[in-house]
Amino acid sequence: MSSRCSLTSKRFKRAETKAALVLLTPTIIAMLFLFIIPVTQVVIMSFTNWNLATGVKEYVGLKNFQYLFKDKNFSKAIINTFTYSAVKLAADVVLSLFIAVLLDKPLPFRRGFRIIYFAPVVVPVVASSLIWIWFYDPGIGPFNQVLTAIGLKPLKWLYHESTALISIIIFSIWKGLGYNTVLFLSGLQGIPESCIEAAHIDGANDMQTFFRIKLPLLSPVINFVVMMGIINSFKVFTEINVMTPDGGPLKSTLLLVVYIYEQAFTNGRMGRGAAAALVLFVIVFVLTIIQRKVSKKTVNYDYD
Amino acid sequence: MLSKKMRALGVLLSIAISAGTFAGCSAGKGNSSDAKSNTGETTATSETTESSDQTPATNTDEKVKLTVWYAVSGDSGEKFKAMVEEYDANTENVEIELSYSGKYADTATKVSAALASGTAPDVALMAAGPLYTGGRGDFFIEEKVNSDSDFNKDDVFPGVWEYAKYNGKICAVPYGISTQVLYYNKKILEKAGIDVNNPPKTWDELYEMAKLAQEKGNINNSSDFWGFEVSDVPWLFKSMLNQNENPIIEVDGETVTPVFNDEKSVEVANWWKKMVDEKIMPIGQHDNAENKFLAGNVAFIVASSNRIQRWAGETTVELGAFPMPYFKKQSLALGGNVLVVFGDEGTKKERAWELVKYLSSAEKQTGFALETGYLPIRKSGVEMDIAKKMIEENPMFKIAFEQLDYSWSYWHFDQMGTMDSIISDTVEAIEKNISTPADALNDAVEYLKNEIEG
Amino acid sequence: MKKLAKKYDFLAFIILALGSVIMIFPFVWMVLSAFKTSADVYAYPPKWIPSSFEFTNFAEVFKKIPFVRFYVNTIFTSVVQTVLQMLLSITAAYVLTKLNFPGKNKIFMLIQSSMFVPFVVTMIPLFIMVSKVKLVDTYAGIILPQIFSAFTTMLLMSFFASIPNDLIYSAQIDGCGYYRILTSVVIPNAKTGISTATLFTFLTHWRSYTWPLLVTNNINLRTLPIGLKYLVQETSSEYQVMMAASLMAIIPVLIIYTLCEKQFVKSITLTGLKG
Repeated sequence: MSSRCSLTSKRFKRAETKAALVLLTPTIIAMLFLFIIPVTQVVIMSFTNWNLATGVKEYVGLKNFQYLFKDKNFSKAIINTFTYSAVKLAADVVLSLFIAVLLDKPLPFRRGFRIIYFAPVVVPVVASSLIWIWFYDPGIGPFNQVLTAIGLKPLKWLYHESTALISIIIFSIWKGLGYNTVLFLSGLQGIPESCIEAAHIDGANDMQTFFRIKLPLLSPVINFVVMMGIINSFKVFTEINVMTPDGGPLKSTLLLVVYIYEQAFTNGRMGRGAAAALVLFVIVFVLTIIQRKVSKKTVNYDYD
Repeated sequence: MLSKKMRALGVLLSIAISAGTFAGCSAGKGNSSDAKSNTGETTATSETTESSDQTPATNTDEKVKLTVWYAVSGDSGEKFKAMVEEYDANTENVEIELSYSGKYADTATKVSAALASGTAPDVALMAAGPLYTGGRGDFFIEEKVNSDSDFNKDDVFPGVWEYAKYNGKICAVPYGISTQVLYYNKKILEKAGIDVNNPPKTWDELYEMAKLAQEKGNINNSSDFWGFEVSDVPWLFKSMLNQNENPIIEVDGETVTPVFNDEKSVEVANWWKKMVDEKIMPIGQHDNAENKFLAGNVAFIVASSNRIQRWAGETTVELGAFPMPYFKKQSLALGGNVLVVFGDEGTKKERAWELVKYLSSAEKQTGFALETGYLPIRKSGVEMDIAKKMIEENPMFKIAFEQLDYSWSYWHFDQMGTMDSIISDTVEAIEKNISTPADALNDAVEYLKNEIEG
Repeated sequence: MKKLAKKYDFLAFIILALGSVIMIFPFVWMVLSAFKTSADVYAYPPKWIPSSFEFTNFAEVFKKIPFVRFYVNTIFTSVVQTVLQMLLSITAAYVLTKLNFPGKNKIFMLIQSSMFVPFVVTMIPLFIMVSKVKLVDTYAGIILPQIFSAFTTMLLMSFFASIPNDLIYSAQIDGCGYYRILTSVVIPNAKTGISTATLFTFLTHWRSYTWPLLVTNNINLRTLPIGLKYLVQETSSEYQVMMAASLMAIIPVLIIYTLCEKQFVKSITLTGLKG
């Protein structure tokens, strides 16, 4: 970055800043109205006891936060969310990368495969949740039918605390695989053929090419997928609410945004929901800082 | 430019704007200027008292626009829509904007948001309506049903009125209501040798019957076969508590105290525990109860009365129904939606009332209820010809209608949603042996007490 | 060398095929359900194959909800939102990756942190704001609050970051101003990233349910997801109609995907090399 043009006069710097400002203005204005103002209101809300139904709204200081730290359900929600996030992220990255590499190869029917792997992303959540609820049905759903057919014990899937969360995770992975696969595919396209050719000429086989050349060059995309994975997994809500209403068996699928929704809308306590959202914000903020520090060491933006 | 100063200024500005818009929404409890249609300007008149002392002036010629939202879809939605549109076409002095506002939860969100921004609809068909009117001090409907003899307040079942009260005062009109019904699978009972002409009266008798059905009635030879299930746990549990003479909450003035942790409640919980301990009822799978029943793998199920309509002609299971068993007295909790009216007193609200009156007349409400699977709110409704016809076609309706005589509800209060959640969790804890019934109920009452205190 | 490659390719094909079965079977269920009758749906265990393959459910969709209107609205709002959002995101991503200015890092962190707040929390304040400026029940009310997306911006940033700075330096030496660099260097070199981002943005808006429901009352402004949810299970007769509706609702996105997918094949065809 420092080996810039030799003309580093003030004139250039100002022109650059001016251009930046002009191009950034629409985004900043949008952010002001769509993010900064609403979030500021959320912060204010978190210090009140605003009840959505009855309209009561009074300042209560730190009461909401005190409640959160005492509430067992809140700590459960945090733990559940971390579990969900860790498992999903690991599975997501490994699986999508694997599939993307396979889909990168010039195989027959590749176009068809790509559409198939992307299809779950496209199916409306309304439809796919209902379908998977039926698939997970302990009595007559296809999954248990397959399990019993191969001689294993049928599971209770969404209806037992030991299997509910993993059932949700499997559904989420199925649903999101297409997204990450597409991202990795785009990333793979960005790798100049010259690098790969060079590696082949030097005698590297496919595996070595992958791990030594492609993977490092993919690191910006991997970094992005991991970062977005963390952020999105902390925000997951809709599918959980549909498949396991009320936080699931023994609250095993009570995740943070589900908790927020329950407090804010089911219980009508918007103030508490806002406070929980702020805690969520802080948690994700800290995680992304950690992730950024880790990525600085592993992400490679140079092309030689 | 993007200097620290500018950014700080920007942040301060946004805090100011946010605080301003936020504060302008609503203030305090019991202030019905909350529901005022806000033109977006703060006017000095926001402090004046409402004109509830004077009779609001109504100009019978002035054409008024009413917004009506409804939270039911499918057949119920279509039928409701048709009724409102018919009223609109036949009434000169109103113009109605009708809008489906999503299912119960989405409608609640929309209504909350609308109230907070001063753009609430004039009439809404929604769940938990009393919280949004009575909870804001708006008891317009009580005034109206007491003063407007056309409405015929006494024609409505007394227990049904309880479902529309906040703080003991009426602030909604019950509309699409249901109770639970005890359904059974005829084939299963036949196989188990149970005489359907001898319905169980108490829950102990049902226990015996369900046990027998469990042992002998497995028509599918399924490994997942059960004697009894219930699809909405808090709903049934609350009915049971009241049947055993526990009123669930006690209200003193404006204070609500949960009381469902006495020995009578523990008795109910013990019965429940017995059912799962003896493997007559499955543990923790109540969300899936109806599917199991429809698959022919459950002998008895407690489910909403609207299933009579919904399942009719759709399932291969041969259905029957028994009157709901009881502990010490017969009592069934109500569920469903109500009609509410928002807004300030004036011509609009008067016209909105006229619409509500029309919709809840014996002819209209009974027609709506019967065609869509709800129950009539009026005693006269149950006597009407269409009601009699329905009973002829499907005897299960007879039981549903008769149950209205002992239908009941506690008044709506702010934490009632929380209470349902906590009851659900409590029953789960009891079923899964995590706490004893007494402990679980005590914990629940403690938790709810804290929530109520806020 | 060629033989080995063939063996790996074969293995890859098998794995992809097996995986496809898992990925697609719910989709298959959806397609089959769209043809079922009420009896098929209520039969236990539910049947996989419908009793007949008639299109009655598809016709029912148009009777139960104003499907065409919803479709048009969804296409319109999604396209406009996507265009606007791409404009905002491309400019922001360019500035944040290729330009230097005071406060850059702070702006970046601000943008990133906007993703940390779940929508359920901000939607009420957002609604109140939109309501005060009288944009409720307008297309603008649906579109404008969704034109900013930190996700899209950051996605584009990771693609733009991969564009070698040498290209930019040479453009500068040729006398290109900052705006020209964006249009003639950055955008052409990030076609894959831009089409990926466009696809995702379009998809997100296509599926958007909560905000359009919150901000519209007039049925003429509403979108497909609202219509689909309306069809969810009041009675069994709506289950198969909802599946039929979902099927029809997927088509535009699949089209856009197929169009964007061409970009993913770009580099291979350019060099003509295999493997």
